[in-house]
Amino acid sequence: MAQNAVATAGKKPRKEKKSQFSGMSKALIRRETISAYLFLLPSLVFFIGFVVIPMIMCAVFSLQEMGLDSSANKFIGLANYVKMAQDSTFWQGFVNTVIIVVVAVPAVTAFSLWVSSAIYQMKTVTRSFFRCVFYLPVVTGTVAVTVVWKWMFNPYNGLLNQIFGTTGYDWLGNSATAIWCIIMILFTTSIGQPIVLYVAALGNVDQSLVEAAQVDGATKLQVFWKIKWPQIMPTTLYILVITTINSFQCFALIQLLTSGGPNGATNTIMYYIFQMAYNNQNFGYANAMGVVLAIIIAIFSAIQFKFAKTDN
Amino acid sequence: MKKSKRILALLLGASMSLGLAACGGGGGTTTTPAPGNSNTPAANESSTPSAGGNVELTIWTYPIGKFGDYDTMQGLIDEYTAANPGVSIKFELLDYTNGDTQVTSAITSGTAPDIIMEGPERLVTNWGANNLMVDLSDLWTEEATADIAATSQAVVDACQMDGKYYEYPLCMTTHCMAINYEVFEEAGALQYIDEETRTWTTDNFVKAMETIRDSGLVSVPGIVYCGGQGGDQGTRALVNNLYSGTYTNADHTEYTANSTENVKALELIKSMVDSGALNANAGFQAADELQQFANGTAAVTFCWNASNKANYASQVAFTPYAMAFPTDDGKPELCGGIWGFGIFDNGDQAKIDAAKDFIRYICDDPEQAKESVQLTGFFPVRASLGNVYEGTETEADAAEFLTLMPYMGDYYNVIGGWTEQRTNWWNMLQKILTGGVDAQTAADEFVTNSNAAIG
Repeated sequence: MAQNAVATAGKKPRKEKKSQFSGMSKALIRRETISAYLFLLPSLVFFIGFVVIPMIMCAVFSLQEMGLDSSANKFIGLANYVKMAQDSTFWQGFVNTVIIVVVAVPAVTAFSLWVSSAIYQMKTVTRSFFRCVFYLPVVTGTVAVTVVWKWMFNPYNGLLNQIFGTTGYDWLGNSATAIWCIIMILFTTSIGQPIVLYVAALGNVDQSLVEAAQVDGATKLQVFWKIKWPQIMPTTLYILVITTINSFQCFALIQLLTSGGPNGATNTIMYYIFQMAYNNQNFGYANAMGVVLAIIIAIFSAIQFKFAKTDN
Repeated sequence: MKKSKRILALLLGASMSLGLAACGGGGGTTTTPAPGNSNTPAANESSTPSAGGNVELTIWTYPIGKFGDYDTMQGLIDEYTAANPGVSIKFELLDYTNGDTQVTSAITSGTAPDIIMEGPERLVTNWGANNLMVDLSDLWTEEATADIAATSQAVVDACQMDGKYYEYPLCMTTHCMAINYEVFEEAGALQYIDEETRTWTTDNFVKAMETIRDSGLVSVPGIVYCGGQGGDQGTRALVNNLYSGTYTNADHTEYTANSTENVKALELIKSMVDSGALNANAGFQAADELQQFANGTAAVTFCWNASNKANYASQVAFTPYAMAFPTDDGKPELCGGIWGFGIFDNGDQAKIDAAKDFIRYICDDPEQAKESVQLTGFFPVRASLGNVYEGTETEADAAEFLTLMPYMGDYYNVIGGWTEQRTNWWNMLQKILTGGVDAQTAADEFVTNSNAAIG
């Protein structure tokens, strides 16, 4: 009996491939396939037009010396990439970008999960109230939020210095505090969507499994890690990827608050790209940095997929 | 059923494709409101042509006095199109925060305006040098050139490059600083300024700032802003004047901000920051500093001119008193501002001709030119126009700034690498004033990087 079990375990079970089209005529399958592709076509057109083609153009332009005078453009091979490798400002921006991502992404994810866990079982009205509160910075708009924060950080008559009794302290003009101010504002504007998603995901956790675990004597922590966490993993993965991309592309806050300063303390790759393209009008170099940023984001996202992958 | 699904799919596909085509279609006459103004009636309504016509022009103006005001611009255009029914004009108001980005985006996407109003550092040194502008030599008649040269040869020189004129100027001014007169009076610091000539020496400037600091009448005597390039003409002038340094060489081919005089000035400013006689703010640009001056938080501003005085008039509860920047030799050299019009070469000769005609109307028409200058709040580049504010409500205000016009220094803004050096400048100030970097080292780095960008 046991031998049979081992033998059975040794053999890979033969999967029965059963197509969803089984039993359908070829003509019917073709028609269904064409219909499906036609439904996909609009998205595909947009994807190619606004994602694939610009990406290819970006890669091509990164190999050129490009300025405002398009007649003076010339192919320079990998010179922009070599320049980038030797550009200390770029590397400073890279380090700052990584700091923002490494701090903001876990903080946003953990805080969102904590808040969601606390509110998802509340009454509908209360839950909606909290969702609104946390979603408010998202719908308010970055510029409006940033302007308010700028007033609060004002060294001479800002709210923060009034509260802490530190009149004159320049939060945004100090290299030690500027990037943390940026991360804090980014945090407040980033938690809205993850909280809404987590509340929905936690609400969809199979209650029969939770109840079964509780009947078996599982603690609250065990219920969370063994039952709920695996079921909300797809949501977590989505939140991680989206928050990572948003953190990498943090731009408006820096543009409006610090312009990358002081002394490059808040300069990020994204802001440096903007500065190179629109201030210095060096489009080739800006494109090269754009390509590298895209690769870095892809690597980070791949790592997250690897570690947070689920069967779902 | 299947047939209807297929038709539905085709319809969906077609509609989405058309949507895409519509998005990318970009009609040449469509304008995009400035991001900062997207909710204002001015920005939204500015896309409406002023009148029907055969030639349709687009004008973008930076906020140069009332040329940044919707009603004023609409009035000007209505007057012109009434007399020229074959021309219709759309306009868009730019701001100095997003304006350059908008123009760069428009250039790269092939939707640059026909006419743009700004100064030689953009029209000549940047867009003109990149072969994007129309040569306006035919507007520069002998009479016009002589008339403008009678005011300042520097204006004539600034508007041209390699024998081509890329700007036709309307007005000019000097950028200066201002003090809170009442605070200075109460603190006993008026003794350090020469009210007749509106000048002060470097030593007296230091004494005045220390007196203000010790008086405790304001939160901060003055703010050296270095959080961005906005209003950087103020900090440049402060540094250059303190010990009579220069920003570039006489030929405008090299930056000289690391000269002994400039480094000495930077060290003086640093010592004043350390002693509390000034405050360095790496998060502020000129607009932020101006707001603190208007609030009464700071006793001086380093970014003042007639336009700023008009803009902040309703906010100040004191007398903002225009002053030249302090100098060691009593001879201030103030940064000049020259504003006028340029035409982007969009390849349509009819538009170019119409654009030139409009510029002639604004700048040369015997009746309109005077009014145009008044709208800017600055002073005419044409000597023949005389004092355009005489007998007007703003005559007294204008006289204040007219006193400072003789101090206009070299117009070095036409040097190459202008856009890059602006970023380098405030970064240099940050390094010295908040980063603890030695003044000579930071100034040397500024000059090396900026000279490398001259091209």
